Amino acid sequence: MSGTNKPHILLVDDESAITANLAPFLQRAGFEVRIATDGEAALEQLAAERADLIVLDVLMPRLDGREMLRRLRAENNWTPVVLLTQVGEATERAMALEEGADDYLNKPFDPHELIARIRSVLRRARPGQPPLSASRRLASGTLQLDRLARRVWLHGSELTLTPKAVALLEYLLTHPDELVSRERLLDAVWGWDYPAGTRAVDTRVAEIRRALHDDAAHPTYIETIPGQGYRFAAVVNAAQ
Amino acid sequence: MKISGRQVKTQWLLALVPFGACALLGLVVRALPGPSPTVYVEFSVSEWLLVVGVLLGALVLGVVWLQRQERQRFRERVAELQKQSADDRRRLLQRVDHELKNPLTAIRAGIANLTDAPAESGEALQSVVAQTVRLSRLAADLRKLGELETRPLENAPVDLLELLREVIALVRERPEVADRTLSLGLPQAPWPLPQLSGDHDLLFLAIHNLVENAIKFTQKGDTVEVRAYEEDAGVAIEVADTGPGIPEDEVPHVWEELSRGQAARTVPGTGLGLALVRAIITRHGGAATIRSRVAVGTVVTVSLPGEGVSVQ
Repeated sequence: MSGTNKPHILLVDDESAITANLAPFLQRAGFEVRIATDGEAALEQLAAERADLIVLDVLMPRLDGREMLRRLRAENNWTPVVLLTQVGEATERAMALEEGADDYLNKPFDPHELIARIRSVLRRARPGQPPLSASRRLASGTLQLDRLARRVWLHGSELTLTPKAVALLEYLLTHPDELVSRERLLDAVWGWDYPAGTRAVDTRVAEIRRALHDDAAHPTYIETIPGQGYRFAAVVNAAQ
Repeated sequence: MKISGRQVKTQWLLALVPFGACALLGLVVRALPGPSPTVYVEFSVSEWLLVVGVLLGALVLGVVWLQRQERQRFRERVAELQKQSADDRRRLLQRVDHELKNPLTAIRAGIANLTDAPAESGEALQSVVAQTVRLSRLAADLRKLGELETRPLENAPVDLLELLREVIALVRERPEVADRTLSLGLPQAPWPLPQLSGDHDLLFLAIHNLVENAIKFTQKGDTVEVRAYEEDAGVAIEVADTGPGIPEDEVPHVWEELSRGQAARTVPGTGLGLALVRAIITRHGGAATIRSRVAVGTVVTVSLPGEGVSVQ
């Protein structure tokens, strides 16, 4: 460590135009930033000096982001990773669970959104331990979610939810105690962020609340933050 | 499957095979020692006619069979070419999206560096920011279009009445609606609309897009009507407006990606809205058509199959 308390970020992208612009932006936001241009270079850098978080592009020469992440996790290295890709697709969601990234952001993104993602991932991170986003089963009180089977239980009995509602609940459970905007939920769960879509988010949140018997006025699980979005308020754990 | 023209032409040479074989056999028989063997056959005219009839019948059947084969091959070839061109288009969209992604990410980060610098964000910079966001939106729409054609759709019962009411409620939030007449006509008697099945959020997006378009392209005092009725084995949804209309030569192209008609030049948008609508409706096994008269108005009709017809 360089004496300061600034979190160390390793930015991995082969596009120099991106790293040249993004690095100073992250530095001004209060991070120490190092740059690697592909997966192999990143692994070498990590072996020399650890990082608090990795911002990782997927498509890169030599060793791509996905493969690098798999190698990292195979070595039981749980350094938080924000992967720069789309995760809206069902197949990609399954893959995301397998590869164990902490969060996702789709290019081109608003750089301020990246800062928000980094901060919330750092806040959630438990040093040396797998993130919630890497566990197959999640639990919050008597609520249970099996992410591979796409099944949800409450008090031990299974709930019937639409696939979209399950995906939305999954996102909220893997981002507990975090204010998530409707636009972010649309982008992450639906894969699009049309203004007309924010209503779709509200409809699915209402569906989940009905299934969980969660009172919108006095919620146990999903809080509405007026004019801003939603927050999963209960404690979430990885379950067996 | 590939059928070249040469292959079809050489097939006709097969007709020479029996001819050649018989001629050869005749030569062999003639070369045998002794007198050439002769067969005398006696037919009554009626029997003879019967044989000729059977032979002609077989000939006609053969020709019909060949023609059908030919047509089948032609259809397969057309389908194959159509699929190929759809695949090409999708790959092109994916590549364009991919090539836009990185420069846009870099530009947005670069601008963020500038705008975060103190007191230097003038009007010029704001304009650059707005244009970058617009390009990002275009890239996102292109990606969405590519995805729409491949990803699995959610397939659940859709309450069309509720969906249309939601669309109208959302469009009413636009300030321009105040000086236009926006109405929703739904059949109540003798029975309401049949159930649909599909992806609620995508259908919502498509219909909302059409109604919002109608509002955007009309003026103060114009009328926009949304109506739905039962049709064949499904539902037709019409979005009609008394707007400027679309010139005849532009009508066939409005569903194409990035097509922006004369009237659309002054209205903000990515030029992908209607392409997105078409992709969503096609994936639901439906069809979308436009009728328009310049200076009179436009009617967009979306036909969707009823429940029991699965999404493709």
